[in-house]
Amino acid sequence: MPTIQIDGKEYEVEQGRTVLQAIDDLGLLMNGVEIPHYCWHPKLSIDGSCRLCQVEIEGVSKLQIACNTLVRDGMEIRTTTEAVRDAREGVMELLLVNHPLDCPICDQAGECKLQDYAFEYGAKHARTREPRRPAKKAIELGPTIVFDQERCILCRRCVRFCREVPRTGELGVFSRGEESRLEVFPGMKLDNPYSMNVADICPVGALTTKDFRFKVRVWFLDDVPSVCNGCSKGCNVWGSRSNNRLYRYLPRRNDAVNQTWICDTGRLSYKQFSEGRLSLPRIRGRETGYTEALAAAVRILSEAREAGAAVVGVASPFAANEDLFALRGLLSDLAAPDAVYTVPRGDSDDLLIQAEKAPNAAGARELGMRESAEGPGKAAVAIVLGHGFGPEAFEEVDALILIDTHESPLLQAAEVAVPSRSFAEKLGTFTNSARRVQRFQPMLEPRFEAWSEGEIVWRIGAGLGLDRFRSAYDPAAISRQIAEEFPAFAGISLESLDDAGRELG
Amino acid sequence: MIEAPATTSYLSEHYADEAYATLSGYEAKGGYQGLEKALGMEPAAIREAVKSSGLRGRGGAGFVAGVKWGFMPEQSDAMKLIVCNGDESEPGSFKDRLIMERGPHQVLEGILIGAWAMGAERTYIYVRGEYALSADRLERAIQELRDKGKLGRDCSGKSGFSHDIIVHRGAGAYICGEETGLLESLEGKKGQPRSKPPFPAQYGAFGLPTTVNNVETFAHVPFILDRGVDWFRGFGTEKSPGTTLFGVSGHVERPGLFEKPLGTPLGELIELAGGVRGGRALKGVGPGGLSMPILPSSDLDVGMDEESLSARGSHLGTGGIMVMDETTCMVRVACVISYFFREESCGQCTQCREGTGWLHKLSRRIEGGRGQPGDLEVLGRLPKMMEAQTICAFSDAAAWPIQGLLRHFRDDFESHLPEKSCPFGEGFEL
Amino acid sequence: MRAETRERIEKLFDRYPEKRGALLPALYLAQAERGFVDREAAREVAELFDLAPVEVMEVLTFYNMFHTEPQGRHHVYVCTSLPCSLRGSRTLLRELGEHLGVGPGETTADGRISLDREECLGSCGTAPVLRVDGRYCENLDLDSARRIVDELE
Repeated sequence: MPTIQIDGKEYEVEQGRTVLQAIDDLGLLMNGVEIPHYCWHPKLSIDGSCRLCQVEIEGVSKLQIACNTLVRDGMEIRTTTEAVRDAREGVMELLLVNHPLDCPICDQAGECKLQDYAFEYGAKHARTREPRRPAKKAIELGPTIVFDQERCILCRRCVRFCREVPRTGELGVFSRGEESRLEVFPGMKLDNPYSMNVADICPVGALTTKDFRFKVRVWFLDDVPSVCNGCSKGCNVWGSRSNNRLYRYLPRRNDAVNQTWICDTGRLSYKQFSEGRLSLPRIRGRETGYTEALAAAVRILSEAREAGAAVVGVASPFAANEDLFALRGLLSDLAAPDAVYTVPRGDSDDLLIQAEKAPNAAGARELGMRESAEGPGKAAVAIVLGHGFGPEAFEEVDALILIDTHESPLLQAAEVAVPSRSFAEKLGTFTNSARRVQRFQPMLEPRFEAWSEGEIVWRIGAGLGLDRFRSAYDPAAISRQIAEEFPAFAGISLESLDDAGRELG
Repeated sequence: MIEAPATTSYLSEHYADEAYATLSGYEAKGGYQGLEKALGMEPAAIREAVKSSGLRGRGGAGFVAGVKWGFMPEQSDAMKLIVCNGDESEPGSFKDRLIMERGPHQVLEGILIGAWAMGAERTYIYVRGEYALSADRLERAIQELRDKGKLGRDCSGKSGFSHDIIVHRGAGAYICGEETGLLESLEGKKGQPRSKPPFPAQYGAFGLPTTVNNVETFAHVPFILDRGVDWFRGFGTEKSPGTTLFGVSGHVERPGLFEKPLGTPLGELIELAGGVRGGRALKGVGPGGLSMPILPSSDLDVGMDEESLSARGSHLGTGGIMVMDETTCMVRVACVISYFFREESCGQCTQCREGTGWLHKLSRRIEGGRGQPGDLEVLGRLPKMMEAQTICAFSDAAAWPIQGLLRHFRDDFESHLPEKSCPFGEGFEL
Repeated sequence: MRAETRERIEKLFDRYPEKRGALLPALYLAQAERGFVDREAAREVAELFDLAPVEVMEVLTFYNMFHTEPQGRHHVYVCTSLPCSLRGSRTLLRELGEHLGVGPGETTADGRISLDREECLGSCGTAPVLRVDGRYCENLDLDSARRIVDELE
């Protein structure tokens, strides 16, 4: 492996990488080694046109662009010299020649690379007295994206994205020179399942999503690492929240899962936490208190136990591993068969979108639950984690104890319904379709009384006087028990996982 | 059809004769004898001959042709290509048009010699779209060769030598004259130059090993093979041997092309063109097409070769000499030059795309009498921001002439500021 | 696009190691039908070349000699690069525009002539020059230029 020097420090890097790639591989890019860049993106082909990432290389007379210069053994790279600084300042000044400087009304303000680098590299504006190039504002490129042409710096990340990632190729740069402009083919639209990623990779405020545009200033947001629950891919996301409300998902880079992308459906799924929630417990359809509802569930189960009546469990691929494990314990103590579950299915592609439209079907499988098309069959009582079967699956069940995040047709059939926390409101893990266990943590506080499915099960178990539920509910302890009981989970626990997750053994 | 040069040497000796553009007319004047000799030689020996002749590329950069030929891989599973650059678009330059219209077989013969020397199976001649007649003349000449079995499999009477030549027309973009912009364009894309490496000999058109040479460069090759390296070196200078077709345009009595050895003094070429028109005084000269710094009248003694010109802060470029007399406002010249580069920038690199536009707007404002203190400092600094930092040399080419104008004619710029208008009344109209 | 044009385009493919090499010649053929390549024709060409339509439009708009909007029956271009400018081509362009009643980039009301400027046409020794429907008219003055455009139908 070649050894290179960056500003006097030595690093071993992989052969065949460019300087910028190598620095990114080392995790140092803009995180110790500051090489500003616009057109380069770790997951797109190299363009080499913004010319901002120029660095000095010992023995080479001209500055070289770091994004497209291959590393070689002994290469000495300097990123902080006066020549490098001058070049950056020059590029920044030139990029501002035609920029509207409309930061006060621009959604990107606060997370804009033009703003950041302009601040860092001198020029707050260009020393130009010339009128700016005329450009169009707020062009709808398609159902999801709005384009402000005057802010575009023609880095062509979006063009390459559409050609290389979803391979739909809607975008192009028309004309040439100073007249160059981003366009779609006349009459066509930017419309693909991944279209909104172009707003993330746009380093300036030229491409924004209709969904997020003008909603909130980004400096009021804080970003929590999480995982999308839209399908079994488990794309890593940042949930941007403010005042206990989520405003958007942004893809969070995980090279082993979703690279730097997310599909549009998944991106917009942040809305699920505020819409259609089951917020009040019910007994036979009548709203009641949380304690009352739990007591009713305990009563139904203990009656069934005394009568020796059949109890069945229904798991959910939307629940966390910890929830499922708690349910598994309860069912076992009640001598019930393994829980069944069903997975909603839909379209898939070879990029991110998986057919299984739930985040933890693999977890349910791994934890010994059984996928079934029909449902739990005949029983006196069914303990049901919602989001799966419809009411018809419970026709032969006398009493249904429903634990769910959202209202559903099942609610009518439930003897007892207990609201649970969505995954955005709790701590836990999902196992994705590639058998990768990924952690999520609370992004929101529930707006009504609700516990996680696991905790609800736990309290019911405690109410039944079962031994294993005697201690307080603790998802971290449960995850350690999973690791003990299931060899595939060995070494994996909520505490040991980092934000990148880990594949099952 | 373009007129034959007033001053000729070996290249243009027969250009006045229209039959020279046909196969029979060309052969009657000794054409294709260079090829015949070449086909009797080992390819390596041809490459060596062309290298030792010192023939330098005539497209502007002046790279030694034989060295370039040596970059082609000797063994290659992939088809090797030659690309002949006939995208002549440099303002002040019109020599390739002359060669293609009046001496197309010189180019084809040079290509075939190169093909044998480099083992290339196919040539694309990229002719700029506006040069309709050049393309027609080449097509006609190629058909003549096909009809006579001089192209195709085992062609030109040599078994194992196969070659075909295809004329490909550009569609109006100066940047396609840049080697890799041309390759992109040939591939059916926008003519946006590529980052190098890889160089064309490794990864050229369609990813195949490719050598790109200018039309005139190929036209010299048959003479080198036919008459010998020593004979060729009898023209020009040690480092820049041979003749070239100097174009003289602008404020001279008889503009046109003049074939003279490289190194011929600039003043002599202007005299051949009848001197500055109307007996006026000379103000400045662009010696190498629009992309090279303009020289003051005191530089008339400079030899027209790269070494001599670079010593005076300019370059030979394509040898297109543009003469400006005393009525010329150099701010207007800056406007015209910067407009050209603004129009022709491909738009990839930040410095070039934004810099060319800014240069033009700034020049126009100063010319329009709306210059302000500080403008000349910006005009001086801007070209530096555009230099030596981009994918291709176009941005440098846009910057250099402005630097030359400011260096030698700063007074013209300064006088526009207090006057709040252009002080040159009778100069050319913008 | 006419079937005949499509056939002619398809015949170009094997002149290049990759079919896309034939795109510029193909666009010339497409343009020959009506003097410009409209959206539909661009789509058809894209289909023939297995390209996204936007890529064809990128190419069309990059090169000066392709048009995506209807043009006059005749094209008259005046070269305004430095060697021509030094010999009065910009005056010629202005006067020719006044004569025709249009500015650069415009088409006469009767659809007869599209007037525009071009950068260097390689006619520096015979400046000023007009390029009229692909033909060079050189060594011009206003009278000869006017005569040339007046003769266009």
